[in-house]
Amino acid sequence: MYKVMFKNNNFIERSILGALSFLKESIFADEYAWRPGFLQSLDPRIKGVTFLLFILQILFTKKIPVLLCLYALCLILAKASRINLGFFLKRTWVFVPLFSLFVAIPAIFSIFTPGEPLAVFKIAGFSLVITRQGLSGAGLFLARVVTSVSFAVLLSITTRHFALLKVLRVFKIPQVFVMTFGMCYRYIYLFVEIIENTYTAVKSRCGAGIHYRGGQRIVAWNIAGLWQRSYRLSENVYQAMLSRGYSGEPAVLNDFEVRLKDWLWLLAVLGLALPVFYYG
Amino acid sequence: MDNNYIFELKDAHFSYMGKYPALRGIDITVRQGEQIAVIGANGCGKSTLLHILDGLIFPDRGSFKAFGKELKEDAFNRADFSRDFRKKVGLVFQNPDVQLFCPTVKEDIVFGPLQLGVEKGEIQRRLEGLVSVLNIGDLLERPPQQLSIGEKRKVAIASTLIIEPEIILLDEPTAGLDPQTTRCIIDLLIQANESGKTIITSTHDLHIVEEISDTVYVFSPEKRIVKSGCPHEVLADEQLLKDNNLLHIHSHRHRDKSHIHPHTHLEHHG
Repeated sequence: MYKVMFKNNNFIERSILGALSFLKESIFADEYAWRPGFLQSLDPRIKGVTFLLFILQILFTKKIPVLLCLYALCLILAKASRINLGFFLKRTWVFVPLFSLFVAIPAIFSIFTPGEPLAVFKIAGFSLVITRQGLSGAGLFLARVVTSVSFAVLLSITTRHFALLKVLRVFKIPQVFVMTFGMCYRYIYLFVEIIENTYTAVKSRCGAGIHYRGGQRIVAWNIAGLWQRSYRLSENVYQAMLSRGYSGEPAVLNDFEVRLKDWLWLLAVLGLALPVFYYG
Repeated sequence: MDNNYIFELKDAHFSYMGKYPALRGIDITVRQGEQIAVIGANGCGKSTLLHILDGLIFPDRGSFKAFGKELKEDAFNRADFSRDFRKKVGLVFQNPDVQLFCPTVKEDIVFGPLQLGVEKGEIQRRLEGLVSVLNIGDLLERPPQQLSIGEKRKVAIASTLIIEPEIILLDEPTAGLDPQTTRCIIDLLIQANESGKTIITSTHDLHIVEEISDTVYVFSPEKRIVKSGCPHEVLADEQLLKDNNLLHIHSHRHRDKSHIHPHTHLEHHG
């Protein structure tokens, strides 16, 4: 019996579609950045600095209630920025916090964190003791991860990606790197389109009846083809840059504008950060 | 400048990687304010010619003079020469995805003048003018990948025109466009030429040739110029067009009768 390439349970198809849908989701996430909302209306540089301050507060505080307050503030900001909370929670809780939970589980036991016992389990003759200190340490770790991931995601979905890249300039990242990141971001979509079209073209000509070895060959050709196209494209893009006067030192448009609202927001975040740094 | 030529190519040869010939013995002269069309089938060397005229690649053999002086690659190592040349000559690439590499349309359009040190107020003035002529105001904040092909082409043209070059090179500017966008681009080129700009367009769309050129160069699949002359004369030479893959045999029906004839431009407008 034939093993076919394009069946629903096929690894290659799932990988291609998974990668494409992830990238498409990024486009979808960019849509939030275009909505009129509180965070979207702030200057990206001020927003970037204040979110960095939030993340520093999260890293320096040792109190779970403070972290929970910051997390609640993050959710309020998301709501004020017209972000669908279901989408936001899904995006922030999947992967990193769940992964962290698995990492943190061993820390709750006395083997790693000795202290006051809270509960004792016996598994195959071994006794596992959960300690108050272990539980509190793991809780603090998890709360930190969730809150910082939430702020990072909130920043990325309420800021247009190109503006986010420009914020890097505030942190003295050289312009040429920022520009290269921007170009990478732009051309990833072009390649996504090419992969998608190639995949559809192969499927339309071959249907599902390709032996898996043939499928592997097609994928290998596509990888080679894509590499050649990207190489050619990079040469052409460089020529297009030269043609318009690029000489190695890119000059870019800086049309950001800091308004009163941005300064008030910065002051408010500084006002919040000082007590957290001092008491937290 | 000798004979007032802005570009002068003599017996120019070019090959990619030294083994794939793209141009064989090309002779072309261009005067200020001329409208030139370079026509030929796919792969006949039209794009290569435009890249040479834009100083992006250089002939392997033969001579290339720009503004009366022999142009060599090392001339572009001098910042003042490079800046001056780029201000004078603008190229609209065949593939707009190559030309639109910035994260937003606005950044793409202003990229050229920013590199060339044009003052910001002046850039804004030029941008507003182009946006209203090309009707692309709604696109400014959008990423180029979200645009249709027609929109991309308009933006690519805007990104070259904003430099206000004296010589505009266009590589198949109307390929794959709907009639309305094609019309808009042709009107823009006619207007630019009327204001004294030199326009050099490569195309295989014979319908636009008469409007956008005073002189036509026909390229053969062998990468040579086989004829040059006024558009009417060139387009009337059916055999020449057929020999160079620029004319197709057209079969169609009138009521119940079907007949076959070569599809030419002049029949409809001549």
